[in-house]
Amino acid sequence: MRLLPPWSRAPLLGLRQPAAVLAVLVTTAILACAVASAPLFLSSARSAALQQQLAPQCAEASWPEVGVGVAAPVGDRAAGLAAAPQEAWAAEGRASVPALLVGSALGAGGNRQQGVPVAGADGAALSQPATLFWRPGALEHVDVLDDGGGDGVWVPASYAQAAGVVAGGTLAVGGVPTPVAGIYTDLFDTVPDEYWCDYEDLFTNATSADTPPPALLLAGDEQTLVDLAVAARGSLQSSAQVEVDGGTLTSSRAAALGAATDRALARLPDVPPDDGGKGADPRLADAAGRAEVLESGLRGPVVPVAVAGGLLALVLVAAAGSFWADRRATEVRLLAARGVGPVPLAAKAALELGLPALAGAAIGWAASRLLVGGLGPAPELDPAATTAALWAGVAAFVVGLGAAAAVAGLRARGTAERPLGAAPRWPSRVPWELALLVAAGWCWVLLEGRDAVVSQAGVAQVNGLLVAFPLLAVAGAAVLLARVLTAALPRLRRWAGRRRPPVFLAVNRLVAARAATATLLVAIALPVAVLGYTATLTASSRATLDAKVGVQLGAGAYASTATRVDPAAVTGSDGTTVLRFGNSSLTSAGGAGTDVQTLAVDPATFAGSAFWVGSFADRPLQDLVTDLTRETATVPVVAAGLPTGPYELRLGNVPVDVDVVATADVLPGRRTADPVVLVDRSRLPQVPPSAGSDQAVERWTDGDVATAATALRDAGAVRVLDTVPADVQRTANFLGITWTFGYLSALAVFAGVIGAAGLLLYLEARSRSRVSGYVMARRLGLSRAAHLRSLLVELVGVAAAGVLVGGVLAVGAVAAVYRRLDVDLLRPPTPLLDVPVPAVALTVVAALAVAAGAALYAQRSADRADPSSVLREDA
Amino acid sequence: MTGFAAHGVVKRFTRGTETVTALAGVDLAVAGGEFVALVGPSGSGKSTLLAVLCGWETPDEGTLEPAAAVDRGWSDLALVPQALGLVADLSLLDNVLLPARLRRHRTTRTDAPGDPVPLAHRLMADFGLEHLADRYPHQASLGEQQRAAVARALVLRPALLLADEPTAHQDRDHADALLDALRDAALDGSAVLLATHDEVAWSRADRVVSMRDGRLAAGAPS
Repeated sequence: MRLLPPWSRAPLLGLRQPAAVLAVLVTTAILACAVASAPLFLSSARSAALQQQLAPQCAEASWPEVGVGVAAPVGDRAAGLAAAPQEAWAAEGRASVPALLVGSALGAGGNRQQGVPVAGADGAALSQPATLFWRPGALEHVDVLDDGGGDGVWVPASYAQAAGVVAGGTLAVGGVPTPVAGIYTDLFDTVPDEYWCDYEDLFTNATSADTPPPALLLAGDEQTLVDLAVAARGSLQSSAQVEVDGGTLTSSRAAALGAATDRALARLPDVPPDDGGKGADPRLADAAGRAEVLESGLRGPVVPVAVAGGLLALVLVAAAGSFWADRRATEVRLLAARGVGPVPLAAKAALELGLPALAGAAIGWAASRLLVGGLGPAPELDPAATTAALWAGVAAFVVGLGAAAAVAGLRARGTAERPLGAAPRWPSRVPWELALLVAAGWCWVLLEGRDAVVSQAGVAQVNGLLVAFPLLAVAGAAVLLARVLTAALPRLRRWAGRRRPPVFLAVNRLVAARAATATLLVAIALPVAVLGYTATLTASSRATLDAKVGVQLGAGAYASTATRVDPAAVTGSDGTTVLRFGNSSLTSAGGAGTDVQTLAVDPATFAGSAFWVGSFADRPLQDLVTDLTRETATVPVVAAGLPTGPYELRLGNVPVDVDVVATADVLPGRRTADPVVLVDRSRLPQVPPSAGSDQAVERWTDGDVATAATALRDAGAVRVLDTVPADVQRTANFLGITWTFGYLSALAVFAGVIGAAGLLLYLEARSRSRVSGYVMARRLGLSRAAHLRSLLVELVGVAAAGVLVGGVLAVGAVAAVYRRLDVDLLRPPTPLLDVPVPAVALTVVAALAVAAGAALYAQRSADRADPSSVLREDA
Repeated sequence: MTGFAAHGVVKRFTRGTETVTALAGVDLAVAGGEFVALVGPSGSGKSTLLAVLCGWETPDEGTLEPAAAVDRGWSDLALVPQALGLVADLSLLDNVLLPARLRRHRTTRTDAPGDPVPLAHRLMADFGLEHLADRYPHQASLGEQQRAAVARALVLRPALLLADEPTAHQDRDHADALLDALRDAALDGSAVLLATHDEVAWSRADRVVSMRDGRLAAGAPS
């Protein structure tokens, strides 16, 4: 079959309509970007989740490591075992860094003991055994005090002093005379660098200061350590790590490293577990597993969001097809009049628009790659995700071109066949959007029976229904409202008939193109609503999370001690001191006792430092604290979770008559589910240690926690613990929520771009009649300023209406959902509402600015028109 | 005397390397109350002359009295272009009344003398458009749109009316109605210049001038 020129030359003919080419190119790019971004975003989130879990840990947490250990005595196996991990990695084609440790030895009685026994220069056994350690470069990361220049072991200064040895001397390590190669400053007396991060347990004992770890003897070389392990009848732990940059790790790379680790582990010699055993560092695998959990949780909300964005963009592509039909109206009408059906016309459109659609899909794919890489949670993307995105781009090309061509064919044929003044077709009168609202209702019903936020393996995930419900509801309501508003436009037209020309012309333009007006209204309302919704929920969940942490800590951070220090002696320029009674109860007259958390506070400074949100009580914290200083017979207290009235407060076994004079929903410092009681510290009697009240003195601060800890030490505290927000909440656990709403926000911005593109398409599609009308209206007496005002009234008016509708919908969606978005049900407070005013204001300004910009653009196009040629072209 | 006069008007266009002289020294005067038919084959320069006279094109040589300017009001100079130039978003009646609205006339019917609203409704009725008043241009036929464009040109009783093929899409009855209206405008004092191929129009005109290759000659072409 031979194609006729309208089809055979179609690819070239299409290029003669740059506006249509551009429209299809841009809209296909938007479509491809929408669908390709989902796999890329999920990959980016997975990488970021992995990286953010590894970031707070030592660098070695992200290094795959295999090791083998043999309990003392290692004997002749030492040399082989020491080299085994490195050889296992070498077989995998990977270079590795070894680490050797002799942590125990067989004692004189044949018992295994912690550390290797060491005798000093005088031959007397030292009370503290030693650990032998070797790792390449260790000596470059200690403070060398004395270098004897020979082989042997390096001894920490305090140990050398206890042993009475100097560099060049000799120590008996496990009974083996060993030269002292040098002396270094004890690592616990220095601030060790990153090299020691993963080996802190070798020189510190975080859990008990009373039992120091064995002294850390650094072997000068690997052979020295192996020889000593054999000679001293010690144990041997040998491991090797592959250096990896955890900050740029992707999930697929982590999986590949995990597989390599398994293979390397299998290559290690088998050692029975009771004789030591072999193993791999689980931290990277654990982090990768949690990243997978987070990603699977994200997939639920992200995929429907991407589909929604894709459908929205598909509408735009279809509109571009319709635009093509308008631009090619003369030719397609002629073809239609000669009996060409919609299918051949669609084929012609596909041939003309194929190249731009292909280019658009490629641009969209590249844009999604750039956008997710640049703005997503992490720039590192899995190759598989990039490939999936590529296929998504191909699908966008095929589906987009098909939709554009189908709409173009139908519209071209329909335009030719439709009689003048015909009523709108029945499909346009059916309120299809009600189906969206019904679906939203169904989601809501399902959501009623499920948790809005679920936690899997400690990772909080947003229920997909929580995303689907507002999207469907907002979309359905936006279309329905747009339909109702545009149906009322004819009334507005009568009103505009009495107004000045700019308003009259603007309203008539809107009334004349009601479908376009409704589409534009929805295109603005939808992104505004989704952005308002997501921004508010993101800010609210963040504020709620911060509040939960704040309530638990009591302030920005705190330092605490169980040492009995006088709270009044703990002073500082910022912060407040709190005496916490862990074992206390409150009993009402004739009632049962209730365990409480009693906080004895300083009324002068407490309200200034304690974490507080206005919704915690119907009075400010300062007012509540002032109530604690009332001059009453019984001690006044403020409680959360108990009614007012007289009670007996028991601090351990010390009774105090108190009166709950004020209550709050939440009080700062709540660490358990028990009610919190605030009391003025100066009103309490002395509570002796024997009372069993489980006292702790805490210094709460919004400033530097180290300063708070110093204040406690200055008051005599021996052991002080710092607690900061990161200790309470593992941020990575909540990344899923943050990213879910982040992705939704991106969709909203994306929908805004669609809206802006739609606005330009709307203007371009009507530019011919608009310019022609403008040229003639100018001749009729319309001033340029009046025409610009009419454009501003038209476009900014629709934008303002869209912003208003979108704002109302966002408020409704937020009101329906935010109370259910409790990221941590165990901790108070219940969800807080935090409206991000700057983001909302920016959205409003952006919407109005885009509309105003579009009005200026339309005015400029009209100004450039040559009246004579315009009025001839239309002839 | 109102009306206009063109003296030695020359208009050239450049198309690529070629220069086309559309008007080659046109001299033409139309007095107020005069109905002149401008005839000539397609491409002879009729539309260019009208574009120059209404100020959309600037002559390369020659003078115009009064000077053509786009800011001349619709009551001074009204126009029926070939492309009609109806505002697509306004109904036919609103299009006809638009010149009055832009001159801040009331657009509701009053009995005040000179009120363009009764005239607009009368013209709509005379042109058979009354039942189409609320339709948009795209909902009307080309002939109906053309009649609305003529009604719009007449609604402010202009001093000078330029019409480019206003009967091109009309049947005989409607063409006669249009020509009657233009004739009446001339009788009311308007200077009417009508570019047309319609030979009936020639006979209704006070004077016929013919144009060929950018030059004017008195009388109809043979």
